[in-house]
Parts: sequence; structure tokens; C-alpha cells
Amino acid sequence: MSISITCFPDGLFHAVAEREGIPTGRERGRMTPPTATNPTPPDERQQIDAQLLQRVAKGDKQAFGELYDRFSGPLLGAAQQILRDSAEAQDIVHDAFVTVWEKSATFEVTRGSAFAWAVTLVRNRAIDRVRMRRRRADLLAQSVPSDFGYADAATETIGSDSAALGDDARAVRAAVSTLPVEQKRALELAFFSGLTQEEIARKLSAPLGTVKARIRRGLLKLRESLALRP
Amino acid sequence: MIDEQHEELASLHALDLLEGSELAQFEKRLGGDPELQALVASLREAAAAVAHTAPAVRPPATLKDRVLASIEALEKPAAAAGNVIRPSPSVFRPTAFIPWAVAASLVVATVWLGQRYMSVRTEAESLQQAQKVADLALRETQQQLEAERIIARRQMQETQQQVAATGTQLETTRAQLTDRERQLAEARDQTAERERLIAETRNQLTTREREIATLTQRIDIFTGATEEIGRKLGEAQQQVARLTDELKSQGDLATFKITALASLLKNSPQALAVAVWDPGKQEGVLKVEKLPALLANQDYQLWIVDPQYPNPVDGGVFTVDPAKGERTIKFKAKQPVGAVNAFAVTLERKGGVPKAEGPFVLLGK
Repeated sequence: MSISITCFPDGLFHAVAEREGIPTGRERGRMTPPTATNPTPPDERQQIDAQLLQRVAKGDKQAFGELYDRFSGPLLGAAQQILRDSAEAQDIVHDAFVTVWEKSATFEVTRGSAFAWAVTLVRNRAIDRVRMRRRRADLLAQSVPSDFGYADAATETIGSDSAALGDDARAVRAAVSTLPVEQKRALELAFFSGLTQEEIARKLSAPLGTVKARIRRGLLKLRESLALRP
Repeated sequence: MIDEQHEELASLHALDLLEGSELAQFEKRLGGDPELQALVASLREAAAAVAHTAPAVRPPATLKDRVLASIEALEKPAAAAGNVIRPSPSVFRPTAFIPWAVAASLVVATVWLGQRYMSVRTEAESLQQAQKVADLALRETQQQLEAERIIARRQMQETQQQVAATGTQLETTRAQLTDRERQLAEARDQTAERERLIAETRNQLTTREREIATLTQRIDIFTGATEEIGRKLGEAQQQVARLTDELKSQGDLATFKITALASLLKNSPQALAVAVWDPGKQEGVLKVEKLPALLANQDYQLWIVDPQYPNPVDGGVFTVDPAKGERTIKFKAKQPVGAVNAFAVTLERKGGVPKAEGPFVLLGK
């Protein structure tokens, strides 16, 4: 379908795209990220995502393709970070996108962004798999690994390939980098490890109350930095 | 206003970290608190943003193809109302025939395309079914593999335990072996020491045998020497005896009385005799020459003149060779003789007389 679109004159395509809320090739096809001085605001990005999801709900495969292009990178990165397995991560992302296609009609814009929904779909599946591995490990009376594969210095696990990052990634990384190290570490463990509160506390060798407070403060500060007001 | 405690619970909920009763209580509160709902939603957005901190990954093109193929195989989530073709009221107009003809052609083409679409869709459904079957088989295989992995892991643990036990036994056996080797080494050392002692004893024995042989040779030599010495001693003794005899004889000769007797006969003045007397043995030798032949009833009789006796001591009778008148006789005195003054020979009747009666034939002092 995208091939037929390319047959339209540029002006006609952009006119249609703007009417239907589809990001034009100026945004989609841009190989280099936008400059830091002119990033797409979060609200605008969420709006575009929501419009695409509404079109997907109507069976628009082109919109689905667009949504895939916008989400698949961070979703696959997160899945791989949780699972530490490329093939399993791809399976998870595949299943999540199939679910998006199937359940997009039930998605309520008021309850959150399309990206947050997609992240939840991927993360839940990935953490389920991680916990299944742990249950198997428990079944085999094996001790739970002390480290699920995360480096102690979490910042090192964040890729430095800035050219491949989108606006969101850069903005989030910049926001996370401003967090105190202990808050950042607590947040990353909470998001990627699949550990319970108590396990995170043990791993960080910190009291449970302290860990909860770090998560609260870290998440609130991140929300503040990303201008994600309720 | 939301307090810190609920902010904390909302944060944990946004990260799906609430469990059990804590989760139940929070959700109960959440249901009736729009402000709290809004907070959770915003925190969920913030939490979702953390996904961006994962290392950047460029999804492979095959993943998108796979996702698109999967949704292609599914039915569309909702029928697009805009796709329904609604017929409009129509009035027959000859001028409009051509458009109708075109429309009819389009209908024919649409029907054909529809059939084609249905055919392709049926094929796609068939493929979808096959894929579902394959997925089921894949899941079953994954489950089997997981079960086998668990079993294999248990077996591996058992094997590791057995290996550990075997290792312990091996260590024990090694220790025993080491002990035996040590004992063997000690026994070897002892054997070597004994062999060395035996060799040393043999050497000593050989040395002794050699010494014995040497000593035997020396004994033989000494025996030979002893025999030689004995022989020489015998010879020496003989020589000594001979010399003693010679000395003795020389001594005896010194004591001997040697007397030459002269003839007293007128008819036989040439007659002579020598008498030798051994006073020790109380015997003597008389040698006569050129004495006149005797008659059958006559004997010559020797007399020894000893001053201790008034008459000469009888020295025995003798005859001579009638032809030459010679005779050598050994004689003994009838009485013990102390000193000899002279010897005398008389002519007597046969058998002699105790006291000289006939004429003197020979006389010597």
C-alpha cells in the first residue's frame, strides 16, 4: 500500500496525510534525528500515536506499519534488555504488535498513551517469561542468580548510538541522566529485572522502605522532566 | 491531595510492583479516586518512557514482515464502514449506456477479482490453519524440550553427584595407592639395602675365600717348608748324630788302647799283630798276620795284662788261616778290665786254658 502512495504527487499525499493525521514523510523518513532545539513535543507525539492507533482500529495496515516503525525500536530494545535474548525478544514484540492489531479497537485514549500501552504489552510478556525461567530454576532447586544480567553501572547498558535514537529516547535518557544514581538504579531494576520489591531491595542491599522511596522520587522526577503531567 | 504514601503506592503500581493485599487495597482505592487514577496514568507514562533507556536496537526487517504476515492472516479488527458500496437511485438514459457498459465491465471485473480474492483468501486461511498447527507443534516441541531440559538437568545433577562421589572414592584410592607406593618404596629400599648387604657379605666372603686360599697356599708353602725343615732337621739331626758319633768315636778312639804285638818266635820272627781295646765296651779287635799254622789240638789264646789281677785276663782263643797266618777277631775279656798294660798271645791246647801254660807267641805293651 505504501508503494501506491509513493505514486501520488507529493503535494496530494501530504494533503491527504495531514487531513488523516498521518505523519508525513518529512517526519517518518528522516534519517537523521531532529535537532535538540526543535524536538517534537511529547503531547504532539502522543497525539499522532493515538490517531494512528485509531486508524489501526479500523483495519488500516498502513497506519499499523507507521505505528510499527515508531514503536518497534524501543520496544525491541526494552524486550531484549529484560530477556537478554534477541530471538525471544523478537517473539515478544511480534506478539505484542499482533495484540495491538487485534485489540486496538478497545484502546481508550483517556487511559494513557499508545506507546505506554504497547510498552505494557511487551514488558508484561517479557517479565512473565523471566519469571517462568525463575520458577523453573526454583523447581530445579537452583539458586536464583544474584544478577539477572544487568551491569552494576546501569548507565553503561544504555547504548551510545545517538544517531539511531529518536526524540523520545534522547529526551528520556537526558531526563534519566539527571536522576541520582540510586534512583536511576532502582528504576531500571524495577522496570527491566522482573524482580519483586523485596528482591530489588536485597539486590541493592537497601531497606525496602528506602527502595520504595527511591522509586517514587525517581518516577515523579522523570515525569516532571518529561512534562507528563496528569 | 494525594499523600506521599499513595504517591509511593501509585509509583509501584505504575511499575506493576504491587502484589497481594497491597494491590487489592490500592485498586479498591483507585476505583473511586479520579485524581489517583490520573496520577497512576501519568506515572505509567513516565515508567513506559524508561523503555527508551534500553540499548538502542535496530529491529530486523524480517520482524516487520513477520508481524505484517501475522496480521494479514487475521481478520480485520473492524469492518470499515467507508468501504461499503451503496447503490444510488438510477434512471435509464440512452446517453448513459456507455457508462453503464463500463460499469458492467467493471462489475464483471469486480466479480472476477472477487472470486480471485476469495480463492486467495481461502488459500491464506488454509495457510493460516497450517501455521496454527505448526505453532501448536512448535509449542508442544518447546514444552517437550523444556521438560527434557529439566530432566537432563536433574540427570546432570545426579551425574555430578555420582562424579563427586567417584571423585571422593578416587581420592581415597589415590591416597591408599600413595600409601602402598610409599610402603613399596620402603620395601624396595629395604630390599636394596639387604641386597647391598648381601653383595657386601658376598664381597667379604669372596675376600675371605681369597684370603683363605692365600692362607692355604701359605700353609701349603709352610707345610712344604716344614717338611723341608723337618727333612733338613732330620738331615741335621742325622748330621748331628753323625757328628756326635764322630765326636763320640773320636772320644772313644781317644780312650782306645792300641797296641802292636811283636813276635817272640824264633821260627816266625815276621809274625805280628795289632790289638785295639775299647775300655767302655770292654771289647776289642785283634788282627794277626803271618802266624804259624796251628796243629789240630792247638789254639792261639789272647791274654790281657791288667795290673789289678795277678794273672793275665783270658781274652779268648782263635785260629788263623793256615796258609797266610792271618785272622781278625773281636774279643772280650773274661773279667772286667780296668787298665791295659799289655797284650800277649800264647800257644795253648785246643780250647784254651784258664791260666797261660804254653809259650808266648806275641807280646805288646
